[in-house]
Amino acid sequence: MDDADVVWDAEDLACGVLLLRLRGRMEAMRPGQVIRLIAKDPGAAEDMPAWCRLTGHTLLSAEPPVYRIRRKEG
Amino acid sequence: MAGKFCVNLTHSKDDSDRATVGFVLANAALGSGKETLVFLSIEGVRLANKGFAESIHEEGFPPLRELMDNFAKGGGTIYVCSPCFKKRKLDENNLVAGASIVGGAKLVEFLSDGSPCVTF
Repeated sequence: MDDADVVWDAEDLACGVLLLRLRGRMEAMRPGQVIRLIAKDPGAAEDMPAWCRLTGHTLLSAEPPVYRIRRKEG
Repeated sequence: MAGKFCVNLTHSKDDSDRATVGFVLANAALGSGKETLVFLSIEGVRLANKGFAESIHEEGFPPLRELMDNFAKGGGTIYVCSPCFKKRKLDENNLVAGASIVGGAKLVEFLSDGSPCVTF
C-alpha cells in the first residue's frame, strides 16, 4: 500500500518508449498526484532519477522495479 | 527544464539497428520534455516517405513505424535534407507526419544556440 493515485506497470518497456509513454501518463494526472511506476528494464534505475531531474517531477522513492513519482505543479 | 535536442539520422534499411535506435533516443528526449528534432539525411531520408518504414522491425525494439508515429504524435519535428532527398528521387508529396523538407540553414538555426546533436 502507498499513496499512489495512479499505478502503471510498464513491464519491460525501455528508454524512449518508456519515457514517452510515461510523459503522456504524467500529463494526464493533476499536479501533486503520485504515480507508482513498475519498470523492469535495468536501465530504468538510472533513467528515472535523470528523467525527474530533466522534467521537474519529484522522485519520491526508487526501489527497482518500483518508482514513485509526484507530478510537478503547473 | 527546457531545451532542445537533435538526432541526425543517416540510415534506414541499410542499417535498421541505427535507424531504430535513433528514433528510440529521439523519443527519450521528447519524453524528457525537450523540443526534439530528427534530421533525416543521407540514407535516412528514405524514412520520410510514407510506407518505407513499414518493414523495419529491429529485434528487441518496437517497429520503426510505431516509433515514428509516436514521435510525431508527441510533437516531435522531422527535417528532411533536401539535396539527399532529391538525389534519391523520392516523392515530396508523400511525407510522413511531422516531416518537412529543408535546407541546411534550418538545421543550423536549430542548433545555433548550442543545442546538442547526436548522429546515428
